[in-house]
Parts: sequence; structure tokens; C-alpha cells
Amino acid sequence: MTEKKNTDVAKTEAPKTGEPQSRTSRRGLFASIGAGAAAAALVNPGKIFAATTPPIPSIRIAKDITDSLAEATKLGSFDAKGGMTGAEVFAKSCKDEDLAALFCCPGNYQIINAISAAGIPAFGGRSEGSMTSAADGFSRCTGEVTACSGTEGPGFTNMIMNIAVAHRARTPLLVLASNVTIATDDREYFIQTGYQQPTTEGLKKYGKRLIAPDRIHEYTAYAFRHLKTGVPGPVHLDFPGEIYNHRFMAESEVKEYYSKEKYRTDSRPHPAPKDLAQAVDMINRAERPVIVAGHGVFFHKAWEPLMVAAEKNDIAVVSSGPMRGHFPDEHRLSASLSPDAFMSADLVVFVGQYSMPSKAERWRFHPDAKAIRVNPTGEDLGRNWPLDLGIVADERAFLEGLASDLPQKKRDAWVGELASARQKYEKQLLDEYEQGVKHSQATNTLHHAVVCKEVHDFLYKGSIDPKQTVTGWGGWTIGNAGARWLRAYRPGQEVNCPYQYSAVGPDLAMMIGAGAAVQLGVGPQAPYKGAPVLVITSDAGIAYSMFELDTAAKYKIPVICVVYNNNAWGMWPSAVGTPRSMHMYLFQENLRYDKMAEGLGTRGEYVRTQDEFRRALKTSYEVAAKERVSTLINVQALKEFTSGKDYPPGNIINPEPSVGALAH
Amino acid sequence: MVSGDTPAKLTREDAQKLKSPVANTKKSMARGRVLFMQNCTSCHGEDGKSEGSLVASATDLTSPQLYKSGASEGEIFHSIRDGAGDQMPAFKSQLDSETDIWNLVNFIRSLWPESARPTVQDDAK
Repeated sequence: MTEKKNTDVAKTEAPKTGEPQSRTSRRGLFASIGAGAAAAALVNPGKIFAATTPPIPSIRIAKDITDSLAEATKLGSFDAKGGMTGAEVFAKSCKDEDLAALFCCPGNYQIINAISAAGIPAFGGRSEGSMTSAADGFSRCTGEVTACSGTEGPGFTNMIMNIAVAHRARTPLLVLASNVTIATDDREYFIQTGYQQPTTEGLKKYGKRLIAPDRIHEYTAYAFRHLKTGVPGPVHLDFPGEIYNHRFMAESEVKEYYSKEKYRTDSRPHPAPKDLAQAVDMINRAERPVIVAGHGVFFHKAWEPLMVAAEKNDIAVVSSGPMRGHFPDEHRLSASLSPDAFMSADLVVFVGQYSMPSKAERWRFHPDAKAIRVNPTGEDLGRNWPLDLGIVADERAFLEGLASDLPQKKRDAWVGELASARQKYEKQLLDEYEQGVKHSQATNTLHHAVVCKEVHDFLYKGSIDPKQTVTGWGGWTIGNAGARWLRAYRPGQEVNCPYQYSAVGPDLAMMIGAGAAVQLGVGPQAPYKGAPVLVITSDAGIAYSMFELDTAAKYKIPVICVVYNNNAWGMWPSAVGTPRSMHMYLFQENLRYDKMAEGLGTRGEYVRTQDEFRRALKTSYEVAAKERVSTLINVQALKEFTSGKDYPPGNIINPEPSVGALAH
Repeated sequence: MVSGDTPAKLTREDAQKLKSPVANTKKSMARGRVLFMQNCTSCHGEDGKSEGSLVASATDLTSPQLYKSGASEGEIFHSIRDGAGDQMPAFKSQLDSETDIWNLVNFIRSLWPESARPTVQDDAK
């Protein structure tokens, strides 16, 4: 951990002899008051400071934090004196269900305390919304169920945008919040009363306000059935005090108290034999088939049969969804960087594509291409995209069937077309980069294409294992560029932070959650346990979650956060036609996010040139890998780069589906 | 990347003088429609009316009198190829040929009110 002595700061704040009293700093004044010298300080502050002001203490992780994290776990037991509380019963059920992690802010105290005591990895942060996104990010790169929690009232309502983001991504997120007491419902009793379930209407898969203490386990079972079955999505439970505080002296007092093997099943729907046979026949007859491997392929861990099926029959694959990597970008059959090839595909097989596009929505498939869609449930089949064959099946079961039943086949012409399209796309990227280099050199700032190409080369072309680093991206101009340059070579390697809901702001928090998963080595992150993560975000976005750098520092989650500082919201050109509106789209120029990061206990780097950026990336990564210290790199840019008018090509909205697909 | 005979740099005046080498046929418009769906709908919408909220200043393509960068066939070509205003990027790196840009021009003009649309020519010609 880097620790700086701030004695220099203290020294510069001490007023010089003869300066007016009004120059006395608040910090210095309070320090003096603390020493019992307030009156004297007001009379002659300079003399008192010189004599008594101690150095300002360094930022550090409190011993109470490390001691707390080292405490032994403790599951509740009916045999204990006092039995078990509702919160302990709930926490034990979550432990039994392998809840992967909890991200929260204080509030809902009994529940979060019981979950942490039970040994489920728990992280406390600075705002409920950001911690909700941290839980979302953890899940997006592991596929596991995670939880977030906040207090009733402001804590819960602070989570709403981030719950919506998780909902659009179909994240299996367990949303928890306390909610006053049943006894005081509708009385506006004291503070924070509010109806939670209507607030998350349309943003969840399932929700329930618990009102019967003895049914707490029954509703935990409801929650995990929804979280672990079919198409995932957020589940929201709100807890009145009567529920989590209730004491159970014996197991028999809890209704429906039986194990997960009895309240839910791991059985998965397999494709009907005739459906599988028809799919095999359609694929085999097609000349240029492509599989769109959506998030269901990742959540249901179907990447291995996907690879076998694709390689057996030379089927192109594009990895799609709020995470990428379930089919590797560098594979000869990957179409993720070959958007121009989609037009000639004659069969599209959507597997686990939960957020379906419409045909008229920028997806580059020919309108006459035939379509198969595979989904774990039937109610969504045929929505938005007309199908030639709809199949209800678990993604893994379907792809195992394909891998088994498809014949060996070579499609050299199709594979060659994919390669040509990739070459063309990569040339476009390089053309944009070369223009960006010129713009950067002309302005002494860094263009978004240059920033992202440098990150690309550093992570994938240097000494680091290209599969190692989990990345995420967000923001508008920089987000679109980042998506074009970041790669995914293995499952869970890339998080598409703004996926579908296009929220600005959760990026850093989401990647702190992903970073926690990598530190713990959960699921597909196990081989890369302990590696740093990297996020590319914007100056608009960072404002929403930058305080979570404190959380990253506190838990030693190493994140490299690249902030594209162009002094504006990315949508500033929307004000060009109405000049009096422009001020609403702009920030102060040259703000120093690197300094703010230092103030939060992490490192800060400030760069304006390619060389500076390369050095900053190298140093930041080394420190992250060796010392688990995070760095924010403030990359100074210009807002005008967003517009192609003066700095062509401007902001490019990415083709879909492909790397950088934002909408679906 | 677009390749073709049109000069790499065009002024607005140059663009006004451009004449489409691609006949305004149903076949051309059909190809233009496919390209429109793939490249244009996020800002201009499926119907070209630009009623979504992604870009505040996207032009309503169904009203040629509102085109800020000109509504002649050459000016539309210029806007697509080289970008327009502060927000519309150049599409020359994303489209294969000048022919495809002209196909897009033909489709976009098919969105105009009937009285303003150019005459549709026979595909055989």
C-alpha cells in the first residue's frame, strides 16, 4: 500500500507571518481546537500552528478492518442459546445455496451481519447503487448468484438504477433491503417507510415483502428457484423487522424447512429429439451458418459443447451479451470481429440470446436468413425475431446435442469470408487509430482510438498472458472505442458494463465487483486468481462510482481505471443546435481525477501523450499485480474528438452483433 | 472501405453537382433498405423520423426540407460518406462501395412524401 506523508500539505497550509486571520485553513483550525487551543489560535494562528500542528495522518486501512476480516465464520444454530434469528436462518440458507458474495452499505443490519458471519464473502462500500453494480459485475464474470443490500428508504431507492441495469442484463442478483416493521406499515412511523415491491416493478424476475416470520425459509426457496432456474434475473426480498429479528428455538418452528435438493431441481430441459434433428438438418444444409452465443451460454456454462459443435461443422460463432469470451475472439470461427460477414449468413442460430433484437435494429443479418432460437423457456420464442424453428432447451443440453449429432463438415469458403471480413474490420480500426494519432499529436491530448489501442497492445500484445486480465468498458465516445479494442479469449473475460440499459456510471463499481471475483478465483476466474482488472470509462461515468476506489483500496482489489477526461458529457453535440443549452453538457476543464483517486487511498496518474500513457499502464499494472493497489489514470482528451466534423471519424456506434455491441 | 470515382474531398458545392450513377430502382431501394436497417436506425429510427432519444439533432429523413446538410442526391451521398453536422460520423469506412451509398440515397429518398419522391425506374433498365 502506498502511503504518503502529508506533512508538506500541512506545512503549506500554515499561514505566513503577517497574513490576515481569514487565511486560516479549516483543517488547521480544527486541529488546533482539538488540542484545546481554539482561543489562542484565533488570536495568533500562525504561532500556534508552528508550535502544535501535528502532521496530517496518512491514509491507511484501519486495524479494525483487517481484524474484522480475519474473524472466524459463525453459522447460526438452533442448538445455540437463544436459538436462531430470522436473519441467521436466511443467511444459513444463502450459504447452503452457495451465494457467491454480498455487496452492501450499512443498513439491513441483521441480514448483512448474519451473511458476513456465515462466511459468505461480504464487501461494504460507499453507496448502495455502486455496490449493487459491484454485485452485478461479480456475477457477470462468474455466472454466480450474488447479493446486494441497502437500508430501507434512501439506501434502497439509491439502488434502483443499478437494479434496472442488472435486470436488462438478466443478472441473477439477489436484492435485499430492510423495510421498517409490519406493525408500523402506513403510519409514516419515525423515518424511511416506503413500499419497495412496487418500486422494483418491471425491474425484477421475482419479488416479495416477507410478512410471516415462520415462512422466511420458504421465500428463500422461492428466491433461489428463480435465481437458479430458467432465464435468470434479479430477485428482490424486503425484510420488515419482525422477520429478521424473530427468534426460532427449534427447526420445527420454521415452515417448509427442507434442503435445496427438495425445494428446487437442477434438472434442465433437453431439446425434443425431433427439434434437435431439425436443427441439425438446417445447420447441415446451410452454407454459411452462424451461432449467436448469448449470455445463456455463459450462465449455463455451455462454452465447451459450443466449441465442439462449432469446430465439428465449421459454424461461425459470435459471442454476445453483457459478458463476452464464451467463444474466443481469436478463433478462426469467431465472427465477433467480422461484422461484414453477417450479411451473407444464411442461417442464424440464437442460443441463450435473452435480450432479443428486432430485425430492424442494426443487426447485420440479411432479412431473408433463416432463424433458429434456443431458449430455456418458451414464452419468449418468436418475440421480435420471426423464427423458422423455436426450441425450448437448456443451452448446454442443446449444444451437447449439436456436438453429438452434427456431422463433420468443412466450410472453407465461409471460413475464408470470416477471415476477410475480420481483416477488413481490423483495417478500419487501424485507420481510425492512425487518424487518432494525428489528432493527438496536433492537440497534445489523447484521442479515444489511441487510448484504446494502447490498452489493447498492453494487455494482449506484450508480456501479459492475453487471457489473464478481465476488462470492462463504459461511457459514450470512449466506451464505443473501448469495446472495439478490448478482447475476450476465455469465458468471463470482458464485461459489457452499459449493456442494453446503457447506464453511464456503474462501470468502475461493476469492475470492482469483477475484481473481487478474480481475487477470490471464482468460477472461470480460478486460473487467473489474484490478477488485476482494468476498466475504461469516461469523466461523466466516473463521477457516479469513483468513491468506490476507497472500497477497492480497503479490500485490496486491484483495479486499473482509465478515465477519458474530455471535460464533457459524451452527448454534448446534442446542444450544438441550441447554443444556450451547451453549458448543461460541460464540466470544468482539466479536472484532476487522478488527484481525487489519491485522496481515496489509491494511486493517480495523469497523462497527455502516448508515451506517458504507456508508462502509466505499465507501472499501474505492476503495482496492481504485486501490491494489489489500484490506480486511476486520468487521460486528458478533448470533447471535440466526439464529433467527426473537426476530428474525423468522430464517435462511431458499433455494428451489432460484434465486439462493442451495446444494445443486445 | 468505400472505393469509387468520386473525389476523396468534397465541398458542399461539389456535392450538389454530383449525379447518382445508380438508377432509382426497386432493387436499389431494397438493397438500400437493408443497409439502412444495419447502419442508420439507432439514430434515425426504423421509419427515418428520428423520434428516438439517442441523438438529439438527428435529422427527420422523411422531411427533405429539414435536411441541414442538403437534400440533393449528391449532398445526401456526401453526408453519408463523409459525415454531417457535429454528430453524424462518416460511414465510408463501414460501407463497401460507393454503389451501396447510392443505394442508401435511393432508399432514403423513398421515405419522402410521395409528391417529393424521385420517379422509380424499371429494374430492367
